[in-house]
Amino acid sequence: MKTSPLCLLTALLGVVACESFPKHPITQTPKPLTAFVENMPGSAPDVTRSVTGERIVRARSEPQNWLTYYGAYDGQRFSSLDQISRDNVKNLKTAWVFQAGVIGIQAAPATYSLEAAPLVVDGVMFLSGWDGYVWALDAANGNPLWRYRHAIPLDTPLCCGNVNRGVAVAKGKVFFSTLNGHLLALDARNGRLIWEKVFADVRAGESATAAPLVVKNMVIVGSSGGEYGVRGHIDAFDIDTGAQAWRRYNVPKPGEPGSETWDGDSWEQGGGTSWITGTYDPDLDTLYWGTGNPGPSFDGTARPKNNLYTSSVVALDPDDGSLKWHYQWTPHDVWDYDGVNENILFDQDGRKLLAHFDRNGYLFILDRTNGQFVRATKFGRVTWGDIDERTGAVTPRIVPTKKGIEICPGPAGAKEWTHASYSPQTKLLYVPVIDACADFKLIPQEFKEGMAYWGGEANVAGKPQSGYLKAFDPLNGREVWSWPARHPMVASVLTTAGGLVFTGEPNGMVDAFDSRTGEMLWQFQTGSGIHSNPISYSVAGKQYIAVPSGWGGWLEGFAPEMYGASRGSALYVFALP
Amino acid sequence: MKIGLRSSVLVAAAASLLLSGCEYARLLRPKVLKQLNPRVVRLVNEFPEVDRPNEAILGRLFAHGGLSRATQGSDGVFRQRIHVPKNQYMWYPAIITMPKGGDLELEFSNDDVVTHAVMMPSNGEREVLFLPVRQAGKVLVKLDQPGLYWFGCPISNHAGRGMLGLVIVKGETPAEAKLDRPKQDRP
Repeated sequence: MKTSPLCLLTALLGVVACESFPKHPITQTPKPLTAFVENMPGSAPDVTRSVTGERIVRARSEPQNWLTYYGAYDGQRFSSLDQISRDNVKNLKTAWVFQAGVIGIQAAPATYSLEAAPLVVDGVMFLSGWDGYVWALDAANGNPLWRYRHAIPLDTPLCCGNVNRGVAVAKGKVFFSTLNGHLLALDARNGRLIWEKVFADVRAGESATAAPLVVKNMVIVGSSGGEYGVRGHIDAFDIDTGAQAWRRYNVPKPGEPGSETWDGDSWEQGGGTSWITGTYDPDLDTLYWGTGNPGPSFDGTARPKNNLYTSSVVALDPDDGSLKWHYQWTPHDVWDYDGVNENILFDQDGRKLLAHFDRNGYLFILDRTNGQFVRATKFGRVTWGDIDERTGAVTPRIVPTKKGIEICPGPAGAKEWTHASYSPQTKLLYVPVIDACADFKLIPQEFKEGMAYWGGEANVAGKPQSGYLKAFDPLNGREVWSWPARHPMVASVLTTAGGLVFTGEPNGMVDAFDSRTGEMLWQFQTGSGIHSNPISYSVAGKQYIAVPSGWGGWLEGFAPEMYGASRGSALYVFALP
Repeated sequence: MKIGLRSSVLVAAAASLLLSGCEYARLLRPKVLKQLNPRVVRLVNEFPEVDRPNEAILGRLFAHGGLSRATQGSDGVFRQRIHVPKNQYMWYPAIITMPKGGDLELEFSNDDVVTHAVMMPSNGEREVLFLPVRQAGKVLVKLDQPGLYWFGCPISNHAGRGMLGLVIVKGETPAEAKLDRPKQDRP
């Protein structure tokens, strides 16, 4: 606005009264953007009221629903629905598509991606998106029922992408971690806020991307921000009141067990975030939660020793968060391999086991009652070091240098966060694999709170990038079949009792394979890359396969050559005609 | 003319009182002066009218109706009035600061000759307020976290022409959300 000489004079005299506003009649009243959505009732049936921790323990007995992030506490991502089978999957057709789209200004528009696992409870689907979105949809036809959108500040510190991996439901509530670190309890009937807790400090570089997990009467969440020199933690809140039950830091303070693995003050920026949802064994009453890389990511000289409990699995008592045991996948991680990937719980030959495909390129099988090592199997291209497949002994071979050196796998690992699946039908594990290396360079830096703290860089660009879908026998570590993919495979795997394996590709293809042989049986082009969690459910006796499609995230870390691929934000749902 | 010590003090006090309310005088603070950035000076020299449409820029490089501080009422709600001047494609003021998160009520008034609207971020859902010519409206939004929140006019790329606004929420996250560690250095 032009400043008049009189205004300038009054300003110079220190008299502040020169900004005159025209007075117009107040005739307009605001409406929420949802008021402009056709046929969205703003309400949903009260289906989650009877969902409790006890009911989720028996989730597999109600295969029509997908009650929790992995479908069941065991993390198997297996559906016992068998209407869609090897014999008829070729007839699979699109039942409906939900388009999220973008309207107005988004936080971090370059990196958004639709990564979630939708949940389904008795015909109602709950889906989360980037930028604070939660939707309730009619699971039979995709009609939106209600929508919630949290206001996300544009400058929220993100490690990687503007993403969210899903919600949890229980007792009439939908639990959702916002990008800026708030845990929300929304009314599952209408999306209205019931309670809200801040559990991460954006000023310190923390954020939140993981789906919460309901266990007993608690909702449990992990923090994100491992590239900002934070101190990672897992928090539990009371479902009814939002009162904090406990917080457990993954990096110990001086004097606490594990603190002997840190030098000086290095624990203060120790990292070890928990940005992927844990699994739970109700019989052993134990949570299994992965922890991320130490800080700084690539500069081990800033933090000598093993840096517990980073790049590990921690087995926790869900009542107070206390540690039962731990296993460190990558001691003194200087490759950003994290350890957050899922821990799949399964029983074989009378043993209670845990399977974990680590980003460091090894499949680990542990005894989940005590954390004892059973065996390891190399499943990807590995040059960083060796892990003895019989004893688990770790021998690092190549670490980042100031000049830069090629190391495999790259910083997103031989498998990204997207999840493997275990089929109790075939007793095999199915894993999406990234085949890519990177030039790792050490660049020591001074820590400043709220600023990225990598201590180096890892460049994948210009190097070959491809992938596989592989099947492994966890009993002996044998590779049963392997499907070579043109691009890194970065979508979660879903197995079904129909003898099928579903996953997606960065080029937008949804694929169905024969779980015994790896033969491809069906494909569909969704138009944007799959970097999400496909699920299966049924409504009125009809089985559906739901696949979020929307390319994005930390592409420079695992598929920089796909940076320009079509972006999107749609949920495709398939069924037999 | 001899001026006594007492008179000098009085004059100095009066001058400082006057200057404290003057934004131009506040520019002379050492904290501000040391931030004078040669790149910004070069930009302003090249485009003396960078804050309005000019011979080089169709719209605005960045909006500018300047900054304001929302004032908090006795009910705890922060408030600010914003208007759309004629033929400017901008919000005046365009930047609203809040000392901490909370409820913010903005009164928008359209003095332009075309219809505008504002889409305001708010927890739960964005609020849409249409602004017909020479009319006004109020919108109450919830912004409870430190950070930058954009708002814009969604009509005919008015946002791209300059009608981008910013709410800056200052402050820290609540104490219970802070990491348990000693105070760390910030940039």
